[in-house]
Amino acid sequence: MAHNEITHDVIIVGAGLAGTWAAMVAAREGVSDIGVLSKIHPLRSHSGAAQGGIAASLSNTRPVAGTGPRGPLEEVPPGAEASDSWELHMFDTIKGSDWLGDQDAIEVMVKDATEIVYEYEHMGCVFSRTDDGRINQRRFGGHSAPRACFAADWTGHVLLHTVHEQALRYDVKFYSEWYCMDLIMEEGICRGVVAMDVLTGELYTMRAKAVVFGTGGYGRAFAITSNAFANTGDGVAIAYNAGVPLMDMEFVQFHPTGLYRHGILMSEACRGEGGYLLNSQGDRFMNTYAPEKMELAPRDLVSRSEQTEINEGRGVMGDGQGIYLDLRHLGRDKILERLPQVREIAINFVGVDPIDAPVPIQPTAHYSMGGIPTTLDGQVLADADGALVEGFFAAGECACVSVHGANRLGTNSLLDASVFGRRTGYAVVDFIRNGAQLHPVSGDPAAENRARINDLLSRDGDENVEHIAQELKWTMTNNCGVFRDGERLQLALEEIKDLQKRFRHARTMDKGSRFNTDLLTTIEVDHLLQFSEVMVAGAIARTESRGAHSRTDFVKRDDENWLKHTMAHKPMVYEDEDAGPRLSYKGVDIDWEKYPPQERTY
Amino acid sequence: MFDFLSFGKTPEMIKKRKTAFVRVQRFNPDEDEKPYIQEFEVPMTPETTVLDALQYVKTELDGSLTFRKSCRHAICGSCAMNVNGSNDLVCHRNLPESLDKTGVVTIKPLPYLPVIKDLVVDRTSFWEQYKRVKPWLVPPEDAPEKEFRVSPEEVAAINSAETCIMCGACYSSCQVIAMGKDYIGPHALLKSFLRVMDPRDTIPGERLDISGGEDGAYRCHTIFNCIDACPKNLNPTEAIETLRKLAQRRIAFEEERAERQKTLTEAAD
Ligand SMILES: Cc1cc2nc3c(=O)[nH]c(=O)nc-3n(C[C@H](O)[C@H](O)[C@H](O)COP(=O)(O)OP(=O)(O)OC[C@H]3O[C@@H](n4cnc5c(N)ncnc54)[C@H](O)[C@@H]3O)c2cc1C
Ligand code: FES
Repeated sequence: MAHNEITHDVIIVGAGLAGTWAAMVAAREGVSDIGVLSKIHPLRSHSGAAQGGIAASLSNTRPVAGTGPRGPLEEVPPGAEASDSWELHMFDTIKGSDWLGDQDAIEVMVKDATEIVYEYEHMGCVFSRTDDGRINQRRFGGHSAPRACFAADWTGHVLLHTVHEQALRYDVKFYSEWYCMDLIMEEGICRGVVAMDVLTGELYTMRAKAVVFGTGGYGRAFAITSNAFANTGDGVAIAYNAGVPLMDMEFVQFHPTGLYRHGILMSEACRGEGGYLLNSQGDRFMNTYAPEKMELAPRDLVSRSEQTEINEGRGVMGDGQGIYLDLRHLGRDKILERLPQVREIAINFVGVDPIDAPVPIQPTAHYSMGGIPTTLDGQVLADADGALVEGFFAAGECACVSVHGANRLGTNSLLDASVFGRRTGYAVVDFIRNGAQLHPVSGDPAAENRARINDLLSRDGDENVEHIAQELKWTMTNNCGVFRDGERLQLALEEIKDLQKRFRHARTMDKGSRFNTDLLTTIEVDHLLQFSEVMVAGAIARTESRGAHSRTDFVKRDDENWLKHTMAHKPMVYEDEDAGPRLSYKGVDIDWEKYPPQERTY
Repeated sequence: MFDFLSFGKTPEMIKKRKTAFVRVQRFNPDEDEKPYIQEFEVPMTPETTVLDALQYVKTELDGSLTFRKSCRHAICGSCAMNVNGSNDLVCHRNLPESLDKTGVVTIKPLPYLPVIKDLVVDRTSFWEQYKRVKPWLVPPEDAPEKEFRVSPEEVAAINSAETCIMCGACYSSCQVIAMGKDYIGPHALLKSFLRVMDPRDTIPGERLDISGGEDGAYRCHTIFNCIDACPKNLNPTEAIETLRKLAQRRIAFEEERAERQKTLTEAAD
């Protein structure tokens, strides 16, 4: 075996819910030779930051009869009619996706939902409970029944710890603080990854029969974002560079309640529990935009409503860029019981206690609908016709299966990461059992990546990596945000091109090998610059408004021309250096009998 | 200079901005013989956090300054450090409020752990002890079709333990840990408490052998440092006390658990 070579049957990159589920299931089923890489300690993964809940049609609670869509909830008594069903969950998800979600994938997800939530419960997850001991459920935007299973407002934390613990129980090997920087692909077959042990700076060629990406979202491409520092979309950029197409990258969800100027999330549970949104005149302006669902309309709609209020001069705070989230009427007890984390965040970061005063918020980049295209079993697609990349799987936020289409409903992504992480785990087991090969690797991939690092370290230009990142992020927030138009998108594209060039003169200040986070930031910014271009290119091409992609110059959804997924391929090396991604399109899986596209009103 | 901290912030905030003197302990074992303190001047607004300040230093002044971070809202546990002599998460720690009269804040790595580089410590012993208590639930073999029934009161008893983010602030404030790493430590004992108290767990006795034993609850000197250090306001000492008491009546407790599990699939009252 060559120096610095490691082999496993399965290498999983990412230890959030998606990656850990895949690892845990595979280990439980007896595939024991697994290595899970995570650039931060597994329990630090961003899944742990999810607050509000995970969707499943358990029918444990229902609205009290006669109290309307925002009234109190009660337990569904034993023997009573179910208040919810997978069919309802399916329809809500399709409608939420603005018909861009693939209906076969959505069906799989909503049907697996109840089973996986019970599995979490059986593995020790400490859910909040109803009085009779069942898993408690609350309302969430765009869902027509109380469907969000929750653990106060730290649901993701509890889910992540639970599945991580079980992975340890089945002896999964974790490579904590290892950074994956390349995918080894030859002849269209995935043969492993190149990764750095961050502690020493040493690079390794890690060969495997199957590689799974569960690398999370790309929300860090925006200045105002709810996402952790780690969410730099490494996985999507690495896959793209290795020739794998990216799907629907232009669809990014802006969450309506990011903390003003910080972007840190105030969970949708705030509105699920009954919170109001107010403009500078003290009006519950959602009246105008979604009279029925009010604050619990889906996120794209609420964020656009807020942005419209702000643009028309009815925002709050010094610069008029904020909106108020008012929780006061919920009362102290409910806030302390159901929203303790949210309260702490508001106190810590803007000095406002939601028990006493409304909290200033604004739309914040939150969720990446697009990503690496996969089958229902996590197998990565090589093109719009459905060819597969042998040995390569992906699940969770880095993947696009696509259950969220143009707009994700809250609580559906913890579900997505769990369900498709688990399915990928089973698929990998089958793949290994059916005689998967450890394919040979030519050359020395670790050495090639060492050369890339040496090149980055040797740059002594006067550009600062972080400044380039900041400029990119503001460009994306301002020009590829809640509202978009052709002109501003074009501007964003030009700026990205320019920043990519400037990046070549950016220096890394830390030249050492030990725990060099400065170098990692440089690589991450390189990734941001690469996939942001794909996002903008997709957005420019898509001359319609659908879900979270809202163009002021093409305000209508256009099913005739755009009821299809964007697939973006990296241009071949021999093409012009400035050539953007090559776009092709893929049909949406639709059951025309049952769920044909409709107008989407709330 | 690129105005990093005020980029995108409101004009009033920029007006009020002053600077802070941030003293950071530096140490790169590959280059330095021993740790030393370096001071940086950092601009700030009333909302600047200690993490913002470190991030400013890294971006503008010295890219080699090394620390861990991720979520930036006190939920991932990456950024526990020692600020002015006590442990805290720097991401939720306000900078202006952390300054002394001369405008200085001092940031060091978590104590009692080997330093990897600057503010990054080696938490190997911390995670080994976590694994040692078997943090996973061992549920009854026959799972029901739906959920096990657990009452809101039973959840309330373990809820706060479940919110531990494993940041290590308690561990690195514990005098017993300072004396030796074979002690299980407050973080892992709190986890053990969570599992022992969970009505769904089938091996509370086995757990109490470990966590109620010599390297566990009996080693705690009840100095309460862990409570003071916990940025999430949890109470490991109380959990350790409970483990100690339960270990004394281990057999009876196991019987109670077995009894409770007979009704685990029935509606709670
Ligand atoms: C603040 C917040 C609140 C949310 N609340 C909810 C909610 O209430 N309900 C809901 O359904 N969804 C919610 N979401 C969304 C949901 O949390 C995520 O979509 C989901 O957790 C993603 O899981 P994942 O496993 O795909 O990725 P992550 O949990 O982000 O994990 C990514 C993993 O990949 C690793 N990684 C990445 N790049 C590399 C690399 N180059 N090398 C090695 N490792 C790498 C990371 O270390 C990490 O382990 C929320 C999101 C945010 C930001
Ligand atoms: S950065 Fe996550 S706890 Fe501070």
